[in-house]
Amino acid sequence: MKEAGVKRVEQGVTRPAPVAVELDGAPVMAHPGETVAVAVLSTAPRFRDDRSGQARGMFCNMGTCSECTVWVARGDAPWRRLRGCLVPVEPGLRIRTERPEA
Amino acid sequence: MSTYDIAIVGGGPAGLAAAERTLAAGLSICVIDEQQRPGGQILRQPPATFSVPGWLGGAPYRKGRALLDRVSGDARLQWLGGRSVLGVMPDGEGFALTLSGTAGGIEQVRARRVLVAGGCYDMPVALPGWTLPGVMSAGAVQTLIKAQQVLPGQRIVLFGTHPLMIVLAQQIVEAGGEVAAVCFAQPFAAMARTALAHLPRALRTPGPLLAAAAGIMALRRAGVPVRYGAQALRCEGTDAVERIVFSNGESIACDVAAMCYGFLPQADLIRQIGAEVRWSDPAGGWEAVHDEAMRATVLGLYVAGETTGVAGSDAAMAEGALAGLAIAQDAGALSDGEAAAAIRKPRAERQAMQGFIDLLRSVADPRPWLPQPEPETLLCRCEDISAGTVDRAIADALEVGPSFGASAIKLRCRAGMGLCQGRTCEHALVRRIASARGCREAEVTGFRPRFPARAVSVADLLEGAA
Amino acid sequence: MSMPTTTHCDILIVGGGLVGCATAWHLSRLGFKVLLAERGHLNSGASGQNAGSLHFQIERRFLEQGEKAAADGARIVSLNRLAIEEWKGIENMLGRPLDVAMHGGLMVAETEAEMDLLAFKVARENELGLQTRVLSGTQLHHKASALSPNLAGAAWLEDEGHANPRTLVDAFADGARGQGAVVQTGTALAGLSMQRDRTYRATLHGPDGEITVNTPRVLLAAGHWVPRLAGLLGLNVPLYPAPLMMSVTDRTEPVLPFLIQHVGRRLSMKQTEDGNLLIGGGWPSRLAKRADGTPDLDRPAIVEPANLRANLDVGARVMPGLAERSLLRTWTGTTCISADQLPIVGEVAAAPGLFVAAGGSLFTLGPVLARLLARTIAEGAAPEELTMFTPRRFAHLDAFAVLP
Repeated sequence: MKEAGVKRVEQGVTRPAPVAVELDGAPVMAHPGETVAVAVLSTAPRFRDDRSGQARGMFCNMGTCSECTVWVARGDAPWRRLRGCLVPVEPGLRIRTERPEA
Repeated sequence: MSTYDIAIVGGGPAGLAAAERTLAAGLSICVIDEQQRPGGQILRQPPATFSVPGWLGGAPYRKGRALLDRVSGDARLQWLGGRSVLGVMPDGEGFALTLSGTAGGIEQVRARRVLVAGGCYDMPVALPGWTLPGVMSAGAVQTLIKAQQVLPGQRIVLFGTHPLMIVLAQQIVEAGGEVAAVCFAQPFAAMARTALAHLPRALRTPGPLLAAAAGIMALRRAGVPVRYGAQALRCEGTDAVERIVFSNGESIACDVAAMCYGFLPQADLIRQIGAEVRWSDPAGGWEAVHDEAMRATVLGLYVAGETTGVAGSDAAMAEGALAGLAIAQDAGALSDGEAAAAIRKPRAERQAMQGFIDLLRSVADPRPWLPQPEPETLLCRCEDISAGTVDRAIADALEVGPSFGASAIKLRCRAGMGLCQGRTCEHALVRRIASARGCREAEVTGFRPRFPARAVSVADLLEGAA
Repeated sequence: MSMPTTTHCDILIVGGGLVGCATAWHLSRLGFKVLLAERGHLNSGASGQNAGSLHFQIERRFLEQGEKAAADGARIVSLNRLAIEEWKGIENMLGRPLDVAMHGGLMVAETEAEMDLLAFKVARENELGLQTRVLSGTQLHHKASALSPNLAGAAWLEDEGHANPRTLVDAFADGARGQGAVVQTGTALAGLSMQRDRTYRATLHGPDGEITVNTPRVLLAAGHWVPRLAGLLGLNVPLYPAPLMMSVTDRTEPVLPFLIQHVGRRLSMKQTEDGNLLIGGGWPSRLAKRADGTPDLDRPAIVEPANLRANLDVGARVMPGLAERSLLRTWTGTTCISADQLPIVGEVAAAPGLFVAAGGSLFTLGPVLARLLARTIAEGAAPEELTMFTPRRFAHLDAFAVLP
């Protein structure tokens, strides 16, 4: 898998200290206020595999294309499929690009 | 359940301008938006947890930012951010809106009147390789920079027909990113000829033209190559995009290829309610039909901004003001005389802009320059339905007779049945159907937008049942 | 294809849904010159909007006491048995895959009282030759582990299942055209009159203008629009619109090979070949209204969110995994219900040569009813299985009709 080329702009931007979220079982650091989509992008451009097994990335970042849809669980709440570009990260958030085991 | 005089769907320039006018008239309002903070896509704000002192400092954003500051600071405004509108149903004398949280949860609000100012989205253009990670819309790159302060790649190519690429390239450079090239599909001479024809009228509002010229100069200084007559053929790569290939055989290495062929109005709610829309030229999609005061064809429903046809944020602000005044007048909060006096300025402003809007639409017209998918290129990204499959479904439908629309093709081949609910492929289906039927796109019926307007977790709906 | 402005056919079929296209298929096969007119596009009404259930277990009302209910129940079972055979052979007959999945159906029960009702129903069905059987809660869980362990049990029928309502009508229409039928979409029936010689003259408005059709027979197979069309002749067909809702979730891995119904609540649930879950069961939506407040049948009915939630609630109680899915789309479709809740299929007593076929449940029963109706039309007499559906039972409503 190709490494992510995503880069946070540092100059002129002050972010809160990063928190750990869990992406496909591995910890990922993200700044509160960032979206789940950015947390995923920060590791790899892949958000899912399509029906032929090809990797797929995000497309619109506006909540319209649904390509960034991932499984998200906040605290004890059940897993939901949400558009990653519209969900802010929070400490302990769990994200899956594949359907989680029940 | 809360009942408002007016629910405004969309917190961008149009929605905020309408909010300002209706608040001033003393009406109770809520503004619903999928983003956490007001501003819309054009003024998409960084998270409240970030500090970005130099955010969108340029002249083209000044008017919008002033509006944003005025309205978002108004304590009377009920801001319902992070929420999608799933449905707008007739309810007594008004409407009931079902909302879902973008991070979960469900709620209902009632409103006597509804303004839909849903904005627009980048036209998704299917070309071979466009489903590779890293191929995205220009709007995606722009909003990642504006709001998330993130560059999605190390080497970004912009391709398409829309001059917004000039603005975006500058923003990428200012954020410290590398623009490998800006590739206009149109030859420079064609663009210049079109622009000149519209120039006299466009000069009534010279601001955007000057900004575009300054933008091109800035890119030149920054060493960003701007190509003309560079038609994208396909994107290539294995696990992600690695290069984009143009019709002249040139191939440019990149890890992000961002397309910019124009914008489609967000009109799903308008269509769900059953208000009239028409095909939106030149980029396509459906724009809301409205009267001079921005009333849609359903009583109590108003529209403003890109939902009525993509014309930019200045036009959206003027239309939002007109809609807000009409709402206040219809609600009896403004007398006819007061309303007539108040609409003069925004109406004149909106009219003055038309020259530049027409220039931009003509210069950016993507239709002669759209890349062509191959038969195996996916048109429907959600259900993985290829252009070839769609074309076969169209050919089969044509055998029966010419009076079919996008829904008939969806039923035959599942294109448009996935998570995005057809927003990505509908315009492409309409174009292909029109071409097969030998008619105009405007004569082809689109999908029938349904409840919920956004995919929603069943668990959320069930909580609402409890 | 451009039509002459005046044409003649052996039968004009109005309505390009399942019943219209399937009847066109059978009649064109028998050598009839068929003209089918559809106002919109094929399959655009209830035929394409229903959830595609193939349900053959009998409904609760046929279990009621009394001679009529018992007789109707017996006829329904014998018709359902024919329908099962029809569906089993339909892909062969039409020569293409139609996503017909007859892997069995479960009518679940949540309470002991519901189990008693199922036991009674199964006994009656077995008596009539339908091979249903009762499964205990444990047996049910063994058969369908995705279903809630809290269910009390179910009635099982191995022939139930589902088919794809999106492709079936096309298959019939394509076949009919191959057999010489003319299928005109975008073509509305604008006028209909009976001539002195008791034949019919119809005016069609199509893409190429107006067409006059002279024909000895007309079949109205336009769902809830049938009363309006029959009204062109001054006739009364007691069918009333029933706007319903169906919902579909995102795709998931195969979890549910069966059709699920509920003996005490409105529910139908199944999984498509592609993996989407389809949920329905007869929950009402709301008819759109015109500005004057009267119902507007020309616009799609409106989703009723409270009913949607109630529908999903029953679904998630029966199959908890439903809660994990995303709802993609809830759509409405308007079927119709007759004055006595049975479909109306056959020749109208007051107007020889005029046939109607509408009245709900016409996805499951559509193909077999079309076959029987075609026989009725070709032979001039209705087979025994259609007796209970004859329009003659409402002949009194046309006592004051003036024809021709």
